[in-house]
Amino acid sequence: MIRVQDLKRIYVMGKVEVHALKGVTCKIDEGEFVAMMGPSGSGKSTLLHQLGLLDTPTEGKIMIDGVDVLSLSDHEKTVYRLTRLGYVFQEYAILPELTATENVCLPAMMRGEKKELYLKSSSDLLKTVGLGDRLHHLPQELSGGEQQRVAIARALINKPKILFADEPCANLDTKSSRQILELFKELNEELNQTIVMVTHEEWHKEYVDRVIYLKDGLIEKNY
Amino acid sequence: MLNNFKISFFLAYKSLRRGNIGTTILTVAIMSMIFVNLVFLPSIVSGIGEGMNVMLIDYTYSNIFIEPKKDNLYINNVDSIRKKVNSLPGVAGASAHYISGATFACEDKFVSGAIYSINPIDEVTVTKTHTGIIEGDYLSEADTDEILLGIDLAGKEGKEAEERDLGGVRVGDKITVTFRNGIIREYRVKGIFKTKSFVADGSAFITEKEMESVLGMENKASEILVKLNQRGTEEVFKKKFMELGISEDIKTWEDKAGGITGDIISSFSLITVISTVISLIMAVIVIFIIIYINTVNKRKQIGILKAVGIEKSIIIRSYVIQSLFYCFSGITIGSLLLYFLISYMIANPIDFPMGNVKPLVEQQLIIQSITGLIAVSLIAGFVPSWKTANENILKSIWG
Ligand SMILES: Nc1ncnc2c1ncn2[C@@H]1O[C@H](COP(=O)(O)OP(=O)(O)OP(=O)(O)O)[C@@H](O)[C@H]1O
Ligand SMILES: [Mg+2]
Repeated sequence: MIRVQDLKRIYVMGKVEVHALKGVTCKIDEGEFVAMMGPSGSGKSTLLHQLGLLDTPTEGKIMIDGVDVLSLSDHEKTVYRLTRLGYVFQEYAILPELTATENVCLPAMMRGEKKELYLKSSSDLLKTVGLGDRLHHLPQELSGGEQQRVAIARALINKPKILFADEPCANLDTKSSRQILELFKELNEELNQTIVMVTHEEWHKEYVDRVIYLKDGLIEKNY
Repeated sequence: MLNNFKISFFLAYKSLRRGNIGTTILTVAIMSMIFVNLVFLPSIVSGIGEGMNVMLIDYTYSNIFIEPKKDNLYINNVDSIRKKVNSLPGVAGASAHYISGATFACEDKFVSGAIYSINPIDEVTVTKTHTGIIEGDYLSEADTDEILLGIDLAGKEGKEAEERDLGGVRVGDKITVTFRNGIIREYRVKGIFKTKSFVADGSAFITEKEMESVLGMENKASEILVKLNQRGTEEVFKKKFMELGISEDIKTWEDKAGGITGDIISSFSLITVISTVISLIMAVIVIFIIIYINTVNKRKQIGILKAVGIEKSIIIRSYVIQSLFYCFSGITIGSLLLYFLISYMIANPIDFPMGNVKPLVEQQLIIQSITGLIAVSLIAGFVPSWKTANENILKSIWG
């Protein structure tokens, strides 16, 4: 489903060049639940950003479902993100002026879905992530972990083909982390949801099908 | 498309409702002040201009002003002209004046000036001088030994006499008038009037009958003032008068005033234009800064919206909507403020030396100010959000 070929991302900061990705080649199949691990600064987030069409690589190729997504226009990328990709950021990235429900509904509204439908699925999703009693809270009234769960629910509302999650459990306790991971596993097994998740925790490996190890912008191990 | 609009509105609405109330109040307050500023000063200037015009019409020229032909000192056949003019529907009245240079003397004071004659019955249909009597009475047609004095000529009692006044003449006092032709007559002051028109307040009136006996003429006049029922129809009537065969020099009050009010108003207009331009520039800068800071503070949100898959145009539009909301709220509140301010000033006009000034709000000015503010708000809403929305997503989210 995802084919990455010799992907490079060089950040230019004045005269210094940071080679965040030095030529990554990998493939992720449909229905896989893949973890991406590696030391801090190894390029995990950078790689996920490229795959999620949030950034443009310096070199290389990304094919998703046979489409060369890097050749899409800005507008086409936006639509692609909206309809096929779900993204959970490493830090909470929900809109402070919208309630939990509104945050989750927004991508569905954007797709033009019916109101009753998206209200229903957003409250279902929020219940699933354990926020059934926080539907109308504003982000400032939610803890960090709760905000992250709102972000997860939002990433899932449009039933994306691929879910990208950058350390979704970084701010959660073990119990909440397990809930999220179980949810991912469930989505993966029951709906054949493709998931690419960055994580630091060794014990998360028991939930995933495969781990991609990154080091210094290159794939170290891939099994 | 409709859905996109709905989302823009949704985002703008939530942002206004849940955003910083202080920012909203501040922005709306500034907008309303700018609106008041854009309308108020020009309205005062228009009010001054209008006040001066009304004074000229009410006391000096009336709507149409007939003068002797070139090289003539007097208009001839005044009765026939008066009859012709009065026969036209739309003419409220006509009043003929003789004007003579004269020297007024009272005890040891004397002042040179102009003396006018009026037919009191005609005059009240044309000018408003009779409403300005502050002491004594107006002239009657048959009065021959009485005179009306303007307040600036009579002078105020107790006040140090100025060069141009008689040092406080009162009703009942006797004054001696030496006409230009050398004839000297003594008159009893019948009334004193105050109009604020500096031409009228510095002059004196006797009856037409008396003046004709002094000058030894009949059926002539130095000027004829014609009052129309409706201001604005002067040009039409000027033509009609010519068609009636009046061969004297016919002018509208605007032709006569062109030199005076026109110059004053055009220099005021320059001030108005400068003040309007400065207000608009201030508006642009203030609105721009507020909205810019507001938008820059929301860079992260804009980045998140884009990451989620919200179209750039929707995001930009939601900021433009917010900016227009500030604009319309400001205009609404500003209009209310203006309404109270202007109502107050119409009820309590400013006491200017040349008359009471009431602000005159012209429709065009309002439309101009509203359009100006809308244009400014559109730009101020669009530019910063467009800039931010075109940034790299990750850059806007993480700085
Ligand atoms: N916008 C940027 N500009 C310059 N350098 C960057 C930028 N983003 C990331 N980098 C650099 O690229 C490298 C990879 O960063 P990245 O965020 O992908 O690491 P990571 O593996 O996600 O680390 P962590 O586990 O700490 O999240 C780092 O050396 C980082 O300093
Ligand atoms: Mg990272």
